Amino acid sequence: MKITLNGKQIEVNPGEYLLSVIRREGIEIPALCHHDAVEPVGACRLCIVEITRPEWEGWSRLVTSCLYPVEEGLIVETHSKLVSDTRATLLDMQLARCPDAEIIQKWAKEYGIEKTSFPVREDADKCILCDICVRICNAVGRYAIARTSRGIEKVVAVPLELGEDQACIGCLSCAHACPTGAIEWKEDSNTRTIWGLTFTLEKCPVTGEVLGTPQQLDHFAKKAGLSRDYFTKSDKAHKHETAKKFVKII
Amino acid sequence: MSKINEISTPPPAHDFSKLEQILNRYPREEASLIMILQDIQDEYRYLPCDVLIETAKALNLPKSTVFSVGTFYKAFSLQPMGRHNIKVCMGTACHVRGAVMVLEAFQRELGLEHTGTTEDLEFTLETVNCVGACGMAPVVVIDEKYHGEVQPDRVKKMIKKGGK
Repeated sequence: MKITLNGKQIEVNPGEYLLSVIRREGIEIPALCHHDAVEPVGACRLCIVEITRPEWEGWSRLVTSCLYPVEEGLIVETHSKLVSDTRATLLDMQLARCPDAEIIQKWAKEYGIEKTSFPVREDADKCILCDICVRICNAVGRYAIARTSRGIEKVVAVPLELGEDQACIGCLSCAHACPTGAIEWKEDSNTRTIWGLTFTLEKCPVTGEVLGTPQQLDHFAKKAGLSRDYFTKSDKAHKHETAKKFVKII
Repeated sequence: MSKINEISTPPPAHDFSKLEQILNRYPREEASLIMILQDIQDEYRYLPCDVLIETAKALNLPKSTVFSVGTFYKAFSLQPMGRHNIKVCMGTACHVRGAVMVLEAFQRELGLEHTGTTEDLEFTLETVNCVGACGMAPVVVIDEKYHGEVQPDRVKKMIKKGGK
């Protein structure tokens, strides 16, 4: 299957989404709500591209490339004037929502925006509601966080209102996947705190490295079908043990 | 994330007898969630936290999903609502014909500063932005009953009658 990307004819695989083709060709476009581990949802709109076909007689339309499957003969522009202008407006709005998010500042600058032209949100955090954290948590199999409320009040949260017993295992998958670094967490030598929940930490008895929270290790052992004992030591300790065994053999 | 705690915890109901009946009306599947929450809202006049937790268990859904749906729709409330619900329409037609004065009359009579529920849990005052009855503006809807061309001096009587 062939498409035309920025004037260049390229071979693509049926079923691929445009964004993965664009990335493979080394073309850089922003896509904040995209994460390879989860299904795309097209929440941030930044990956928009202009598509057309010869039979459209000059008409074109904007689509989110993360959600648009390739089609034979499709003509795609990733940096046309329409795309750049629209993307700049989107970044302008996101900068008003999250003025402190470095990645948005970086992309906004690239599209010529130093300061947002919209009123800046009061008490702004760095969350752009891209939903990566929720999707990642579901993929991990915990379903611990969700979008709460609606409209301008919408936040992603653990439903702490529904009691102490929460599905969150403090694995930090959400925090690590967050494109803007909006999910705050802290860790001292014995505890980890995220989403307003505090977990104790389990450590490797050999190296003293932090292994994770007991709940997290239980969950991942069960999910991977591995013995829970495997997760009582750090990778380093495991390597050391294997090396020792190996030395014995030779 | 600064705003997490702005949603207040719904008080528990400790009464699951009504919930059992509600749950038995629908198939135990995710698609029943909104209908069940609507019935809970009707029975308890809000969504109590312990009832939500039980609902999640009964439908085998994550708590986060139930909470997400429960906070999304305006038809659901996490705080107890009054026995009678008063909606004052603030749409354009009603506004032009004096809805602001009608609202103020309700606030005065009910002793509320803005909107919300009275302390005795008798009335909940809300504003809405059009109920599709602009011809009879200003409109007030009390417990599903529409009252047209409401004058501020009629408000006292309306409250006394409990919306009838």
